[in-house]
Amino acid sequence: MAGGGSFVGLAGCTDLFETQSAQAPPLPENRPDAVYYPTHYEGMEMPGMKEQSGYKCALTYSYAHRFWLMKPNGISKVEIQPEDSIHLMPVVWDTQTGIIPPDVNPQLTITQDGESVDQFAPWPMLSQPMGFHFGDNAQLRGDGTYTVEVSIGGPSTRRTGSLTENQGNASFTFEFEFSESTLNEISYTDIPDDKEGTKGAVGLMDMEMLPNSQVPTPDALPGDVRGSGTSGDAKFVVTLLDDASRFGGGEGQKYLAVSPRTPYNRTMLPMMSLSATLQRDGTSVFDEILQATIDPDLRYHYGTTVADVQSGDELTITVDSPPQTARHEGYETAFADMPDVQVTL
Amino acid sequence: MLLYLDYQRDGQPSEDDREEVEAALRGIEHAYERSGDGLLLTVSYSPAYFGRFDESLPEGVDLPDPEALAPFEDPEFDTPDAVVHLASNTAQVVLGAEEALKGNKSTLNGVDQPDATLTDVVTIADRRTGFIGDGLPAEKADEAEGVPADKVPEDAPLFMGFKSGFKKNQASEDRVTIQSGPFAGGTTQHISKLDLNLNQWYNQDDRWQREAKMFCPYHAENDVIEGAGDNLGTSSKIDDCEPTDETAREMGVVGHSQKSARARDDDDSPLILRRDFDSTDDGTASLHFLALQRRITDFVDTREVMNGTDVTEQSAVGQRNNNGILQYIRTERRGNFLVPPRSLRALPPAQPAADAQEVTYESS
Ligand code: HEM
Ligand SMILES: [Cu+2]
Repeated sequence: MAGGGSFVGLAGCTDLFETQSAQAPPLPENRPDAVYYPTHYEGMEMPGMKEQSGYKCALTYSYAHRFWLMKPNGISKVEIQPEDSIHLMPVVWDTQTGIIPPDVNPQLTITQDGESVDQFAPWPMLSQPMGFHFGDNAQLRGDGTYTVEVSIGGPSTRRTGSLTENQGNASFTFEFEFSESTLNEISYTDIPDDKEGTKGAVGLMDMEMLPNSQVPTPDALPGDVRGSGTSGDAKFVVTLLDDASRFGGGEGQKYLAVSPRTPYNRTMLPMMSLSATLQRDGTSVFDEILQATIDPDLRYHYGTTVADVQSGDELTITVDSPPQTARHEGYETAFADMPDVQVTL
Repeated sequence: MLLYLDYQRDGQPSEDDREEVEAALRGIEHAYERSGDGLLLTVSYSPAYFGRFDESLPEGVDLPDPEALAPFEDPEFDTPDAVVHLASNTAQVVLGAEEALKGNKSTLNGVDQPDATLTDVVTIADRRTGFIGDGLPAEKADEAEGVPADKVPEDAPLFMGFKSGFKKNQASEDRVTIQSGPFAGGTTQHISKLDLNLNQWYNQDDRWQREAKMFCPYHAENDVIEGAGDNLGTSSKIDDCEPTDETAREMGVVGHSQKSARARDDDDSPLILRRDFDSTDDGTASLHFLALQRRITDFVDTREVMNGTDVTEQSAVGQRNNNGILQYIRTERRGNFLVPPRSLRALPPAQPAADAQEVTYESS
């Protein structure tokens, strides 16, 4: 009995070790300070989807991942721990608009037969195939049935339109049948050596029943799109809306919205501190912070009300803090060092 | 140790029961000196307890029902009648006192115990235990699930690795004492149970992030903190941090202490006196956050400032991400209590006639 037990233990360890080295191959050399092709990408599995209080939630997972956390002067790498089993991602979205709100930080509680297994608040993250999501590596106890509770609270970013109605708490409970063999069936695609580390991105995963975290193409943005610029490999599109009333603006005021997005995939870039100045004929017309806002049409963006914008005005967007989301491979060197963006409106 | 108690009788307490409670408390008090080396003891009562009376609490006693205090939390509320808080530098003293209160000891520390026992009139609804002290969290790390092995510093007094409760960052006893009315000399107490996520804290964050998120980015940038922070002396040097909103905008991360220090009164005193301690109850690394303040509102205001919702709306700081230590703590339970002055500590009425109470107890 004892011998059998340790044999199984040993086999498990070897297995784990092999999986991990596949999940964390050496990083490409000479990564650019830009979005780049990672060493590989993976699919994901979706054990379930639930709906409650105006929100939907899908529980999804993939292999355990290495990722990076942001710091003011750089990034810090999070390695896969030997105990990590999967990368667990609860995707929560507003049912009506399909928007994934980055300000609503889910809390995960994993139990097995009523006993606590793991509990954490997953990090807000950016990944090329998943887009913006909340996720973290979870530590399970091998094959078996787990109960995963995802709970969310009220918002903490300004919302407009129909989104203002969605203020509530919600909790979604999933029965999650986990097995190492199902995990190992998740696709794993290697990117050829000559391609990894070069500028570009893996496309967003085709996630049928799930909404994506993209922002509209410039053509599809509401208002009058007045220009765009880039910084740290992110693209900033500037649009002007005539009616600022739903953004707290007074009569006759306009709304200036800045919509940053990743190159290639058009994934939203939340959790930045942005500010802007507007110069007209060499004098400053305004100097304000741009407030993060989630709007059903503009989706996640940063904006301010303005009295007026004239053609030829010089807009300078300053990135006071780059996106504080954690980053998966291929995004960790981009959107970090972000100089001012100049746009002539 | 916290013993949550339900008074057995329906409605208002009887005079006999008051005497029984007071006698039981005196029994354990006589056994030890009143200090950390001996035994420290408080008794406090919940809004549910005061609901037994027709009269409401005097004006000036602020004791609302507990409520959720952050947009992202959904705690259970503690509604037993009372809480006995036993504390000592010696764990055995606390355990002995508990047994004596339950009537399981005829002598305690060599001192005869009264026939009266607390559990004759109350039922123990919950029992929470904990510890605080240099090295204790590291020692107890393997009692709890999910505490990364060998990561909690050997000398840290709390699981998260830093010293807490610097003298100058605490409200004074005077600041938290109710000043007038029949409960003058008492205080209010808020007790929450916070579960900790130490995997992210120790395995994913680095030292810089832990310092920035616990204190402020300035402290992390300038290596202000050595080890658990004993080098800081009597204050967390929070005045050296930049204003919270500036740090949030420019660094994208704010510290717990930096944020919480915005809850100060006109004399720059913090509003709450923190007496929190760690726990491995139910095999989970957690913290019993016990705070004393003149009014529960003082706690609510402090917690609101700690949530930093104002900061997240206007900066890269998230609801929990980079927002002090909110990422790592989950509120499991909350309860509000009134700690009456000593003369009223045994099953007090909601509207005491101050002198009458005094007399009853002196004669008992
Ligand atoms: C795991 C939970 C917590 C830990 C480990 C923790 C730790 C700390 C530390 C290390 C400090 C700085 C040192 C000091 O001034 O004592 C501090 C300050 C402070 N904390 Fe906490 N804390 C926790 C939860 C809370 C909670 C729930 C509150 C209540 C709202 C709170 C309120 C405060 C206040 C008011 C200060 C002092 C601010 C001032 O200087 O005015 N803390 N905490
Ligand atoms: Cu992720």
